[in-house]
Formats: sequence, C-alpha cells, structure tokens
Amino acid sequence: MTKIETTLSTLLLDIGAFYKPKEWHFLTVNGIDLGEGKIELQWIFSKYGVKDEVVLYYALSDYETPVPSLVALIPSSTMGEREIVDMFGLTVEGAQKGLYLDKDSLPHPLRGDV
Amino acid sequence: MKKTIQIPLGSQHISLLEPIRFKFECENETIIGVDADVGFVHRGVELACTRSFEFKQVGYVVARVCGLCAITHSLAYTLAAEKLLGYVANDRIKYLRMLMVELDRIHSHLLCLAHTAENAGFEALFMQIMGDRELVMEVQEAISGNRVQFDYICIGGVNRDLTSELCDLVRKNLMILSEKVEVLIGLFDNNWSLSLKYKGIGVLSLEDAYTYNALGPLARASGLATDVRAETSDFPYEALGYTMIVESTGDIHARNFVRLREIVNSIAMCRNIVDNLPMGEIQEKVKGKPKGEEIVRIEAPRGELFYLVRGNGANILERVRIKTPTFSGIPAMMEVFKGSQYADAPAILASFDPCMSCTAK
Repeated sequence: MTKIETTLSTLLLDIGAFYKPKEWHFLTVNGIDLGEGKIELQWIFSKYGVKDEVVLYYALSDYETPVPSLVALIPSSTMGEREIVDMFGLTVEGAQKGLYLDKDSLPHPLRGDV
Repeated sequence: MKKTIQIPLGSQHISLLEPIRFKFECENETIIGVDADVGFVHRGVELACTRSFEFKQVGYVVARVCGLCAITHSLAYTLAAEKLLGYVANDRIKYLRMLMVELDRIHSHLLCLAHTAENAGFEALFMQIMGDRELVMEVQEAISGNRVQFDYICIGGVNRDLTSELCDLVRKNLMILSEKVEVLIGLFDNNWSLSLKYKGIGVLSLEDAYTYNALGPLARASGLATDVRAETSDFPYEALGYTMIVESTGDIHARNFVRLREIVNSIAMCRNIVDNLPMGEIQEKVKGKPKGEEIVRIEAPRGELFYLVRGNGANILERVRIKTPTFSGIPAMMEVFKGSQYADAPAILASFDPCMSCTAK
C-alpha cells in the first residue's frame, strides 16, 4: 500500500490528476478519529488487473472544516461521503445526513469524544 | 413538461429479502429518477469493534455483519489482524479457508439465482434451486458446525479440521451439484420465460461500470474484468484452477450467467482443494497485539469486501473500517434503474443480489 499525504484544499487537484476511471478502482472514503478533535480522512484506490496495488490518499483535519466532495470526479464516492457525514458529523458538500442514522440516533458515533 | 409520479418500492416488499426502500420517479411506466434508503438495519458493528470487544473477539463480531457471507467477513478481518501481528498462515490453513469461502460463494450465488427465478414468476425453479443449494449447506454444516453464521476462522488458523470422511462428502455433494448446475445453465439460457424477463433488461454498460465503480458479478457481467481473487496474492487461487468469468451484455441474463459459471469454477476449485490438501497444523499460536494499519480485500460472493484495521499495540483496536460490496454497488444499481420499466424493477434488483445487512452493518 502506498500512502500519499494531501490536504483538503488540494484534494480535488491531487485526486483529479491521479484518478483515471479505467485504470483505478475507487474503494472508499474512510475516517479515523485521532482524538483531541483531530481526524484523518482517507480516499483509497486499487489498480485494475494488478496484484496488491493500493493507493491511499490521506489528509488531516478537524470536525469543523468542510470536506470537499469528489462526486464530480468519482460519482460512486457519494456513499462513502454520506457515511462519514453520519458517523463523524463532518460537513461534505452535497452529502446529506441520514444514510444510517435516524433523527433520534446517537450523533456521530465514531468520534472519539462520544 | 410531462407529468411524473413517485412510486416507492420497499422497505417491505414481496420481492425483497431484506429492507431497502427505493423511491422511483416515473414517467408513465418508465423510471427516470431513483433515490435509495439503505440504512434500515444499521447495528453499529464498526463502533462495537473498537469499543466493546478485544481484537481477538472482533473476528466473531464481524461474522455477524452478514449471515450469508459471514465467512468472508471473518476472513478479511482475521487476515488484517494476522498481518498486523506478523503471522503468515501455513498452506493447510489457507486451503481450508479458501474451501469455505468458495462453498459460501456457491450457496450465495444459488440463493440469488433462486430469487431471480422467483421474481420472473418461476416458482418451481425457485424451489428446485433452493433444493439444490441444500447440497452445499449440508457440506458447510458438516465442516463448520453451522449452516450459516459460522465461526470457522480464527486468528492463527481455523477451528475445525477436514477429515477424510468430510473430504468424501465434499466430493460426493459437489459431483451431484455440478450435474444440477448444468441443467440450470440450460434452463437460464434457453427457457422462453426467463429469456423474455432477463435478456436485454437492466443493462449496465461497460462505460457505466467504470464510471460508477461497479464490482463483483455486476461488473464482470458488463465486461469489466476485475476480481479481487486475481488482484491480491493472499491465496493461491491460480494454482487451484481459478478462472475469471466475464460476460459482455451487462443485462440480468449476463449477471445470472456470471454467477452460474462462477459456481462451476468454484466447484472445480473446491475439488482441487480437497484432492490436494497440504499437511500441517490447523491452528497456530499467534502472540502479540496489533500495531499499525493494514488493508485486506477479499472477493465475497457479491464483489469486493474491504477491511481496514488500525491498532496501536493495545487490546482494543483504533479503527475497523468495513466496506461491503453492495454498499459500493448502489450508485451503479441506481443508474441501471433509470430508463427501465417499473415492472422490471424487482427482477433488476434481485439480479444485483443486494445484501442490506452488509450494507448497513
């Protein structure tokens, strides 16, 4: 696995330059709570037809900073983006709450402060 | 502007095996827009894995994500944990794990085919396939102790060995099943009612398969040659006769045929496994606590199952991320519905073989 650091402000440029739909399979968006209000966001890809080639872009952020959406580049990223909105209480452009959680559910359950 | 109507399908519907709700925007009988609600059976498994259970117990927790593909969930987690612990299983353990995963694929594909036959109004075929599926269920129960939800895989190995009597049972049942699958292939290819309902219906083009990151049988039916078994080196699939099955038309018929041909290939691999089972221990002691981050991908019956596990050297893990095939496949599914007839929606949905228990986890 190759890990590449990026930032939320350059994410769209970085992924836009990297991602080719017929070469790379978009796996998912992931979040990992690092404690003290910090979160690591990950965008993970695997290469079609090549063994064990996985590329993971990651950016460090906090709970408040809006996360750019990749839907314009990768339409299928909508599911992962909606998931991190529910699970970590983040704001992602165009991603609605309520994929998994009801209105009366425990909010953002995967945050470390819950 | 033409008048449109909204028609819901689900969350409880005669054609659904699990709860999912689609809201179709229809112009006469044609679907022009679709929205999906997939979270009815969310249980907070990822949270439980990092709060309530130690890493040695998590393999048994994630097996509860899904009844049908429990074995792939526990295998994906266990492989990730073993990599973090620096352990590599011996060949006997690898073969036994592969055997259970391939048996799981056979019974899951048969369930999907039975369900698609039911959705075409072919009740007799549904009953026939469910009867044939019992041959695999019997083998799974004999090997693991359970028909579904088996806790067969553990960190450091598997929980039960394969005796020579069990090997004979695998050979016998799979031989009977392979004859029955040949009959099914003929039926699915030539039966007039199945052809009418499936051929040219619910098409996902190759271009859309790439655009929407389709995976598993859904992608392969559209000509996208991708399969985790060919794209990872954790198991010696090629040595056991693995062949990637790819169709090109992208319709319900192609998805059914990918599954039928994969059953044939999985039966051949299972026979090769029992005929060439290496000697060795079935369980080895693994010491330490997981530290670091690992990604594991396994080809589940519905496509790629993804696990990311991060540990910090403690008993409780920092993160267990589960990404299931149906979850990733939903954008592609929604695209297929657009332009289809509403009356075809249940059959199209069944051909995706959606697993909502996995999706909502």
